[in-house]
Amino acid sequence: MPIEGAEIVKAASLLGAGLAMGLGAIGPGIGEGLVGAKACEAIGRNPGEAGLLTRTMLVGQAVSESTGIYSLVVALLLLFVV
Amino acid sequence: MEDLGVIHQLIVPLFGYEMTFNLEVIAWTWIVIIGLLIFGYLAKRNRSIVPGNLQNLGELFINQFYELTEDALDRRLARKYAPLICALFMFLLFCNFLGVFPHLGEPTSDLNTTLSMGIMGFVIAHYVGIREKGIKAYIKGYFEPIFFMMPLNVIGELSKVISISFRLFGNIMGGDIIVLVVSYLTFSLILPPFLIGFFFIFIGAIQAFVFTMLTLVYIAVQVK
Repeated sequence: MPIEGAEIVKAASLLGAGLAMGLGAIGPGIGEGLVGAKACEAIGRNPGEAGLLTRTMLVGQAVSESTGIYSLVVALLLLFVV
Repeated sequence: MEDLGVIHQLIVPLFGYEMTFNLEVIAWTWIVIIGLLIFGYLAKRNRSIVPGNLQNLGELFINQFYELTEDALDRRLARKYAPLICALFMFLLFCNFLGVFPHLGEPTSDLNTTLSMGIMGFVIAHYVGIREKGIKAYIKGYFEPIFFMMPLNVIGELSKVISISFRLFGNIMGGDIIVLVVSYLTFSLILPPFLIGFFFIFIGAIQAFVFTMLTLVYIAVQVK
């Protein structure tokens, strides 16, 4: 069974989607873990400010998550558009 | 699985160009707007010292976001821009919760909605900056550390719009697709309601809050 060019392109785009998602998830994972750990330390030291700290933590995590979201968008483009 | 990534579009030719309307997204956005109007009317109808259920909910939204705005900006600006921030949050929250209902989806899973919200926040932030600091101080802000940092500052401002809108869009659309794929794999048994609870309710609320907070922070950065 001969392999045509379009199939190679499809296989490459699927492989690229998997690589983009897998590698792109490393950074946000580490970053969100660090933010959560520091927020836990801060809440342990100063429990009265827990509300403010949780709010700031969520915003910081969502910002550090954005690179992971970009890789998700790239992976979806590779899956459905290419 | 066949309806994954399918968008119903109305394409209208106009003077040689093609205008594209995403009909479903427009309908969902109008549902959200009408729902918000009804909520506002019902919450305002029987006002009393001891608030009823809906009035309590409305007061909760307004108090929380007024305090947040007052923390980020000062008191005078907070009176002016707290309604905007509160309305933005309520709109995005209702948008993200709309996907829970059958046959409906989130307007925010279309890039057009989130990008227009992001551009709106960008324009408002710069308008407030020019108005509060004056045009001279505003332009001087771009040449801040050294004068040849100007292109980097401009690119930084523009990339804020891209990052804020793609973050909301990617989260909501990614949640949609994960729920659809897992429902297909498990024949819609057991797992999908929990996934819907996580992705639509929890992530939707967090992302609406984050979008609102970031818009507020962008305004605050321009004012300072």
